[in-house]
Formats: sequence, C-alpha cells, structure tokens
Amino acid sequence: MTNKPKKFEDELKDLEAIVSQIDSGDLTLDESIAAFERGVMLVKALNGKLDEVERKVELLTRSAGGELRTAPFEQPSDNQNDHPAGAKDDDETPF
Amino acid sequence: MNGQLDLSLRGHRSGLITVSDLVRRVRDALDASLGDSWVVGEVSNARLAPSNHLYFTLKDSRSAINVVMFKSAFQRMRFKVADGMEVIVRGRVQVFEQRGALQLYAEEMEPRGIGALQVAFDQLKRRLEAEGLFDRARKRAIPFLPRRIGIVTARGGAGLRDMLRILFDRFPGIQVIFRPARVQGDGAALEIADAIADLNRDGRAEVLIVGRGGGSLEDLWAFNEELVARAIFRSAIPVISAVGHEIDYTIADFVADLRAPTPTAAAQMVVPSLTELQTRVESLGASLASVMERDLSSRRESVDDLSARIRHPAAIVAEARERLASLEADLLDAATSRIADTRRSIRELLLRLRTPGAMLRDLRLQTSRLSNNLVHSAAMALEARRRQLGASAGRLDALSPLKVLDRGYAVVINTTNSRAVLDAATVKFDDDLDIRLAKGRLHARATGRSL
Repeated sequence: MTNKPKKFEDELKDLEAIVSQIDSGDLTLDESIAAFERGVMLVKALNGKLDEVERKVELLTRSAGGELRTAPFEQPSDNQNDHPAGAKDDDETPF
Repeated sequence: MNGQLDLSLRGHRSGLITVSDLVRRVRDALDASLGDSWVVGEVSNARLAPSNHLYFTLKDSRSAINVVMFKSAFQRMRFKVADGMEVIVRGRVQVFEQRGALQLYAEEMEPRGIGALQVAFDQLKRRLEAEGLFDRARKRAIPFLPRRIGIVTARGGAGLRDMLRILFDRFPGIQVIFRPARVQGDGAALEIADAIADLNRDGRAEVLIVGRGGGSLEDLWAFNEELVARAIFRSAIPVISAVGHEIDYTIADFVADLRAPTPTAAAQMVVPSLTELQTRVESLGASLASVMERDLSSRRESVDDLSARIRHPAAIVAEARERLASLEADLLDAATSRIADTRRSIRELLLRLRTPGAMLRDLRLQTSRLSNNLVHSAAMALEARRRQLGASAGRLDALSPLKVLDRGYAVVINTTNSRAVLDAATVKFDDDLDIRLAKGRLHARATGRSL
C-alpha cells in the first residue's frame, strides 16, 4: 500500500515509448530534446531502483494481545544439509 | 505367553539394556500377541519402489501406520491403489528394527470406496467454485517488481530456505517479511489463515507467497481447508500459492492469484532477475542515446540543406551574369559573322557588275568566234557533201549494166519491140535479136527456142 511515485515497470514502458517517439521523427526539436531529457531521467531512476540494495528478512509475529511485531530474522542458512528425516522440534516442521 | 509388554525399567538400573534389546523385545511381544489382522484405513503417500514393492501409509482420523506390500502380493492386486482411497488390508504387524518403527506387512488389499479426505476435497472444491472463489476475473495481477514479499511457511523448513536463496539470487535488493506458520498437523490451517491476515494488517508486502515443500496428501492437507481458502480470498495483497505437490492442485492453488508448483518456482516467478533488468535498462539507455543522435544529425542535415539554399541568390546572380556574358559573346559572334557574310556577297555582286566597254569587247569577241565557226562549218558541210557524192557515184557505177557486161554477160534485145529479152517465150522464130556485148554488138536471128 506504499504509494510509490511510479512503478518500475511503468517507467520501463515510458522509456520504451520515449525511444520509439524520438525514433519516429515526428517530434519537433524542442519536443525531441524534452523527451530525451525525460528518457535520461528515467534511465537514472530505473538504474537507481535496481541499485537499491536493501536486502533484509524480517520476522513478523503476533503477541498474545494481538499486536504485530517485527524483528530481524536470521536466515536458517546454516542448517542447509539438515534434512527432513531429522528429529522434530516442537516448533519446526521439516518442510 | 501372557502377551503383555513388560518394559518397566523403573528401579532396574542394574538391568540396563541396549536399544536393540528393547526393539527386539517389542518385536517378540508383538509377534506373540498379534497374528494376521484385517485393517481398514485410507491410503496415503503411496509409492511404488523400483523393486515393485508398494509402500504407503494407512491412516484414519487419529492414527497412521506404515505399510509395505511386497512385489509378490502387489502383483496379485486387481485394482490400482491411489492416495485417498479407503482400503481393507490383511497383514501382519512387525517392528522394523533399524528404525524401531511399526510396519504392517500387507498380504492382500481391497478397495473400500473413495477416501474421506478425497470426498471432503471434492465437496469443498465444488462449493467454493460455486461461490466464485476461483473466478479468473477476480484474480489480482502480481506486481512486476515487488520490493517487499510476504512469506507464509514453516519456520526452518526447506521451502523457506529455497525461497530466500532464489529471491536474493535473482534480486539482492529485496525485502522479505516472513510470517511463520505451521503448515501441517492440527491447527495448521488456522495458523496459515492467521498469517495471511497478519501480513495484510502489516500491509507492507506487495505480494504474498503461501506454501510449503512437498509432502503427502495428508501433509498438504491444511492447504485444502476452507479456512486457508477464505484467508487467501480475503487477502488484499495478491497471493501466490506454492505447495510442493507438482501434479495435484490444492484448494489454495485454485483460490490463489497465481499458482506455483513449488516454493522455488514461486520465488522465481515473483521477482525478475536483476541482471536481466539491468541489461534491459542499459540497452534502452543506449537506444535512447542513439535515436537522439540520429534525430539531431538528421535535423542538422536539413539545416545544412536549408542554409545551402539560403546562400543561393548570390550564386544565381553570378550564374546570370555568366550567362549574360556568354549570350553577349554569342550575339557579337553572330553579328560579326553576319557582317562578314554580307560583305562577301556584296563583293561578289560588285564583281559581277561589268563596264560597257568590256561588254562591247566581249560581244565583238563572241561575234568573231561565231563567224569563224560559221566559215568552218560551211567548209565542213561542203566536204561532207563531196564525200557523199563520190560514194553515190561509185554505187551508181557498180549498178550500171555495162559493168555486168564487163564480167562476160550480154544483153539480148528483141529488135521488134526493142526490149531486152528476159523470157525465151517472147521471142518468135526468125525474130531479129540485137546482142550487146561489153564491147560492140552482134546481130542474130532466132532459129529455135527451148522453153
């Protein structure tokens, strides 16, 4: 529900449209330059979005009172070779 | 032989036994107390080993037992066994010593209608479908590049691990909100439904993946329950179902906005690959630059073209001047040659004009020439006549009869009529004939004649 200014895929489509507009040769010089500038901005914005490195895993839990809580979640990357045949924890299902 | 299990170790520290001993004792006790049994239950997790031994779990609502049916017995079976099928099995229970697990060794088996779980599944499916929970029209689009992904699955499960690995592989800058839930056993459906609701309350995730790794029909059962189906249906956030059971669909699969066959597949579907996107943006940027360059250079060309045309008037004047000059030259040429021509013809005309003296002289000359000609031609004519005359005299001479007489002929003239005799018949007896010879004459008388 975060209202991001514009979605990545929309910007991608806009950029494609700009490229084909300029390519069509139907624009006036001013329009063409304006479109180009917008295109450059879009490339920057798109790259910016791709460069966002915010890798994060949160754990969402609910208290007895019904409150939601988030906490950083440690990835269970260590027990990769731990296969379902192992013993059952109270809390963990092997799937 | 009382068949009672007497395993009480309380107070028997000294009688410590090994696991093997224990399992063996259980086995012995079982063997002693249980013979063949006829057991009714539902088949699940049936699988045929390459050895052609059939393995499955036989269960009812409260308990389950592993069953093995060896090849020899399996090949006698007349029906195809399938998960969810209710069957009656005759067999003998034994302990599988390596694992200390109970196992029913089935000798024969027969079907007993469709299993209760399958019936429940079919009924719920029909009901929810009628209610419109599976309608394609209400399925929400999965965002192209979700920044936050909510995951509902078991904590520490292989499904979670696989999903996180794939997600971060494809797109490192992504956030995951993990809401753990038990995914099998009693209460699992409620936990899954709560988890979906919680992620919706949290509201940050743009898409949810709800699922688990593979398992038997019973293991996946929570995903066939109405609670889960309704929670997915209610979710404001699009839901991808990811229940690792590639062939069969769960109810959750039908309700979800997108169905992935496994958690791994869900992770691949939900985020695009960063490198692919980077390549795409990069190539779009490159085409942007190149189309702009082309655009500008084509404009520059037309500007050059125009400015070339603007410079032209001067060139036009120069060209006109040049043309004018050449026309002038032509004109001059034409004029002078015309004058020369005229002059020449005048001269010729002048030459042709003569003085009267000269004319007289000419005429005199002509007269004398003519008179000369006259004299000459008269002489010529005379001479010609003379020659002609000579020739005619010669011919006359040749024709003269006297000339014939010269050659020995004679002319006989009948003196009675003075005519030359040409026919003897004209001469009569005693006619006087005058014979004229080349020289002189003879007088003769006709004395006979022959006709």
